[in-house]
Amino acid sequence: MQENRGLFTLEAAQAYLAIEPEMETQQLSQRLYCVSDGQVRTIFLEGERSVIAFDTFGTPGRARAYGKAIAAAIPGKAIATIIYSHDHLDHTGFAADLAPDAEIIADEMCAKVIKLRGAQGQTRPTLILTGQRNELTLDGVELVLLNPGPTHGSGNLAAYFAGEKTLFSSDTILANARYGFMPDYHFCNFIAYMRGFLSLDWDSFVPGRYQMTDRAGFEHGVDFIDAVMEECQKAFVNFVPIWAYEPMKGYCIGQLAERFGDLEGFEDHVGQMAIRIVHHYLMGGWGLEDTPQPRVLLNDLVSL
Amino acid sequence: MSEAEHSCAEHCGIFTIGGELPIQGAYRDICYQPLRDNIWTASEGIYRTIFLEGNRGCIAFDTFGTPGTARAYQQAIGRVFPKKPVHTVVYSHEHLDHCGYAADLAPDAKIISHDYANQVILGRQSDGQMPAHETFLDERKSFEVDGCYFELIYPGLTHGDGNIAAYFPQSKTVFMVDTVADGVGYTTLMDWHLTHYVPVMKRFLTLDWDLWVPGHFWMITRERFIEILDYWERMFDFGQQAIIDGVDPHDWTGLNTYTDEKLGPLYSKEFRYYEYGAMNLSRYMQDYLTGGWGIEGNLAPDTSPL
Repeated sequence: MQENRGLFTLEAAQAYLAIEPEMETQQLSQRLYCVSDGQVRTIFLEGERSVIAFDTFGTPGRARAYGKAIAAAIPGKAIATIIYSHDHLDHTGFAADLAPDAEIIADEMCAKVIKLRGAQGQTRPTLILTGQRNELTLDGVELVLLNPGPTHGSGNLAAYFAGEKTLFSSDTILANARYGFMPDYHFCNFIAYMRGFLSLDWDSFVPGRYQMTDRAGFEHGVDFIDAVMEECQKAFVNFVPIWAYEPMKGYCIGQLAERFGDLEGFEDHVGQMAIRIVHHYLMGGWGLEDTPQPRVLLNDLVSL
Repeated sequence: MSEAEHSCAEHCGIFTIGGELPIQGAYRDICYQPLRDNIWTASEGIYRTIFLEGNRGCIAFDTFGTPGTARAYQQAIGRVFPKKPVHTVVYSHEHLDHCGYAADLAPDAKIISHDYANQVILGRQSDGQMPAHETFLDERKSFEVDGCYFELIYPGLTHGDGNIAAYFPQSKTVFMVDTVADGVGYTTLMDWHLTHYVPVMKRFLTLDWDLWVPGHFWMITRERFIEILDYWERMFDFGQQAIIDGVDPHDWTGLNTYTDEKLGPLYSKEFRYYEYGAMNLSRYMQDYLTGGWGIEGNLAPDTSPL
């Protein structure tokens, strides 16, 4: 059987795409669950007659394993709805393998990117949301979906569950420091948008990767990225060779270890983060998404 | 050197930290040399650009990336052509490290850019980066400015927004920034649109030129241009294979080990391979893990001849 291949062109990718890892499921409330393959994390909810799943995981095999984990947690109810947190394939690339007949909900920008991409297995959304806040009732479940503006990827939606005092936001803040080179982050308004989530009443945070954390852990994560952004600017002031990995890593460890050395992966990742963020200040942010009043260049070229 | 050249009250780009930013005002010596006909090139050692001698004044491409280097660039042009002030600035693209400080280079000059670059510049509101007075949306537009003929070419998405090449058909020379340069630099390929990059850059091979002036380091030949593009094209397969082989794109040690084993035998002699080979691989891996980034990263590239 040939797997849906996303954007892979090498035939050798088939084995990688087919692997079905162990999934770890955790029930957060009567209706809300979170699930992880050890790296990527997402949530799903039990509706009156069906399941509402966020995201799909990043390969056909992982999507199938996700489906089995849902079936084990909520037997007898099919996945009728998938909500895409954002456009990236490692989170939302394989609805065709998770639940090919489900209704798919996504933000407009996410839907536009997915349409253009045409990745095999990434099903196009059927219900498009616009604006910063959408309140939906799906199969008896009330949802609040939030898109404060460009943060990571395109059309990144957070989900707020007031009853559970829980916030889910994929690939924005982590409970550790394992951000790597921070792919497709939009930094200009990132900190302000993240701090904006703190105006809501919640005490449990589900990130798109690794472990969950609480409100204090989320604030610590925001403070960490904010501090790296400030130190990257100070690196210029201090004539650090900003294009070089080791000097930037050493500089940031020296400046930030006391406050943030407790974050798992700090020493291995802060150099990568610094290389990315220092270029934000060197180059000026990337595209119209990364400006004070963000818009999207070429947006008008794509219709849904 | 005037007192203003030592000032710390400099245009500050998008820096948000308070206090003085001495690096913004730091003076850097600019080297310059004639290239062909009326084309000169200037560099502070890392960044490179060109300027043209007109009948009454000069046309400067880009500004360099700080107020101090912008002023040094202006002085370098002034040494070569002391009676010919910079009356026109052409932006190669919108990034601050190349085009951020026209206010310090030539505040009264007319500025030309591609429309996409100017949209970002207007949105960014960066201190010292002046918006363009004239923009264009065409793929290819001819200019006759003060006796200088050149064509500005927007080949499609490559790096940044509205990134244009300057083509001098009479001199068989192309100037284009942050696309093809010698070696395998460019850290993690910041703001590159990978889906487009190789096919779009190959469009330049439909033009008649034999000298390529990049935005960094030294000039290259047409043959070298093809070799460098081949590296970037082969990285697509290396990026996929690294995922298949279980490499974590955020594991710096693992990336370097894998890169040394797989890429080293082929490319370790390339300029800056040891600094950036692993970062290059990580970026290519992300293109398969996440998909291209945004609308720009997912549009279909134009591969027709220029």
